[in-house]
Amino acid sequence: MNSDVVVVGTGLTESIVAAALSKAGFTVIHIDSNPYYGGDQASLNVEELAQWADQQQQTSSSSQNPKFTSISRSSSFPPNSRQFSLSLSPALIPSTGPLIDSLVSSGVSRYGGFKLLETVALYDGPDRVQAVPGSKEDVFKSKTLSLLEKRRLMRFLTFATGKFEEAKELVGQEMTPFVSFLESVFSLNETIAQTIAYALAYCTSQSDATFPALQRLRRYLLSTGRYGPSPFLVGHYGGLGELAQGFCRTAAVGGSTYILNQHISEILHEELSDASADSENAKTWTIKLQDFPEVLSCDALISSGGLLPPSLNNMVPVSHPSEQHRIVRGFVIIDKPIHLSSQDETETMVPQDIPSAKTNTGYNAIDTALILFPPGKVEGGSQTSVASVLVTGEGTLSAPRGYYILHLSLPLSPSETQQDSSQRLTPYLKAALSLVNDDSANIEPVFTLFYTEDSTELPGGTEQSTVTARDFVAVPDTTCSYLPEVADAHTKTAEEIFWQAVEILKHRGGKEGHEEIDSFWPPLDLQPGYDDEDS
Amino acid sequence: MSKQFQFKLVLLGESAVGKSSLVLRFVKDQFDDYRESTIGAAFLTQTVTLDDGTTVKFEIWDTAGQERYKSLAPMYYRNANCAVVVYDITQSASLEKAKSWIRELQRQADPSIVIALCGNKLDLAARRQVTEEEAKKFAEEEGLMWSETSAKSGEGVTEIFTAIAKKLPLTAPPSARTGGARAGPARTGVDLNKQANTTDGQNEPCNC
Repeated sequence: MNSDVVVVGTGLTESIVAAALSKAGFTVIHIDSNPYYGGDQASLNVEELAQWADQQQQTSSSSQNPKFTSISRSSSFPPNSRQFSLSLSPALIPSTGPLIDSLVSSGVSRYGGFKLLETVALYDGPDRVQAVPGSKEDVFKSKTLSLLEKRRLMRFLTFATGKFEEAKELVGQEMTPFVSFLESVFSLNETIAQTIAYALAYCTSQSDATFPALQRLRRYLLSTGRYGPSPFLVGHYGGLGELAQGFCRTAAVGGSTYILNQHISEILHEELSDASADSENAKTWTIKLQDFPEVLSCDALISSGGLLPPSLNNMVPVSHPSEQHRIVRGFVIIDKPIHLSSQDETETMVPQDIPSAKTNTGYNAIDTALILFPPGKVEGGSQTSVASVLVTGEGTLSAPRGYYILHLSLPLSPSETQQDSSQRLTPYLKAALSLVNDDSANIEPVFTLFYTEDSTELPGGTEQSTVTARDFVAVPDTTCSYLPEVADAHTKTAEEIFWQAVEILKHRGGKEGHEEIDSFWPPLDLQPGYDDEDS
Repeated sequence: MSKQFQFKLVLLGESAVGKSSLVLRFVKDQFDDYRESTIGAAFLTQTVTLDDGTTVKFEIWDTAGQERYKSLAPMYYRNANCAVVVYDITQSASLEKAKSWIRELQRQADPSIVIALCGNKLDLAARRQVTEEEAKKFAEEEGLMWSETSAKSGEGVTEIFTAIAKKLPLTAPPSARTGGARAGPARTGVDLNKQANTTDGQNEPCNC
């Protein structure tokens, strides 16, 4: 079976690459050793997730450098466990940015469904959870801020949505911790500074630097209003894993071949002489699968190093992620809703209209919300990092009616001591469950899974490899601790890989006929597989 | 005003039984002897008008070849209101495949899904390997609709889609009722191609 390119793994990055290459006119074979789509971003039901966890546990005990460690899960399952979709990589999708652009430009938006994030709330201690404003209008309407505070906040928001790169306020402060910057340069009080840093700019620790935080904040502030009051969307059916399937379907509609549940048994690479490289049939890569009759051959191979046999380690380029990430994750399913006090009940820093039904008690049951836990606010929690709990319910089609998934994430710096993941997250889970406004004393989750995820280095260890295949494109690890950055990070990486692959493929035999490729996605009406009748 | 419905219909069946040809005949009234194996469209739409004036718009999803190596994504089944499972009457093995697809649908899809079993290539009845009785008996046991078609001659094609269209509104959820507005069965929530009603110049979608 011949193709221009073989893509290994169906994670979001690889799936976007496959769709883009396919739309650009290349033939693609897309393989995965898993029986499911989505790789480390897969959306799984509870049974599949439990299986995944058990498998990772085996891997982690036998592997030298496992990506997932400290795995523990409950043995109980919720009823209708197949009706849940949990993504291994929970994410908020900003309303403007690379992923949304790609979804619209590729037509994949026709497959995926989205819900606007309803509420972002900041945990300030037991019974003190505050909804966070999203816009200048919210600030303006606030009754709890003094006039001076409003003026300072407005001045900052004008700065943050403008061209702050050239502003004098920023000079020399680029790497200052963002909270300190807000306090010292804009004279904002601690509560407001923390709210901005953690709940608007999504800093994951108190030492996060000012410049990148400002860049994120501006993007989110300018995203507000495109689809509604929140800048963020949450994907239906578990989000990123579902979108990966959408990109794969688009690739398949464009002619790509899909082979799941097949392990690679052997990969051979042969540099071609210039003469034979011109021939259509001469391919540099030959790939054998363990349980598949045909041999795959292609001109370019795209894969993350970790998915290839160890024998190839000296051939693929070694790259170290610029930042190591470690995230402690938890997936908890509960059968009672979390309530946030409405603005009339407690003093919120800045009020926000929460578009969900109010109960008689003045509390709002939340369906799709993010609760952030600043450093030091939870007893037994981290003193430096921000934990987050993304709540998704029936509204995102990720859980059946009456059930809610809590996605807990706690990013840690790799230097922090390894500790049991369930112990790390238990204080946050308790704090979140205290928001279930229920008379019964204890809320028992119907399912729990905890683990620690590390970003992986590509193989090759620390030694620089000497042999590098020119027709191999490595997919770097895109583990990302910023919930609103994950999706776009994958998309940006995918675009880089796409261009590298195009560069390789355009020099290969028989490809002279290709028209010049000048964009990541061709205009929709020219794309194969776009049925215009419907729009 | 007469009722309007929109439904997602998925096609299933072994490769080369004529899934895409069946859709091409239904949607465009065309047939191509040498059709490539993929249909090359995200999905096709066709509207059926029933005797009482009710209109049923089908959003028809092809497997895009992903069934070939058992790599069909769960997304494919999501929110499907109906499925046409196709076999080739000249290949008895294709009926066995159809049976396994039906089991897969019963496992993966919504329990209320309407399933039609469809024996295609009726124009090749001289080489028939699957008898009408055998397929019909199986369909009755499983509670499926059943009929035979020829995408090549067009025989039975409109009929099977019309039969589904008649059956669906009786079982359909209220959400499938479109009332004139364009609302797909699979699409509730935010439509990425539409902006909220704000005219903030800074929020232009993209520069493409």
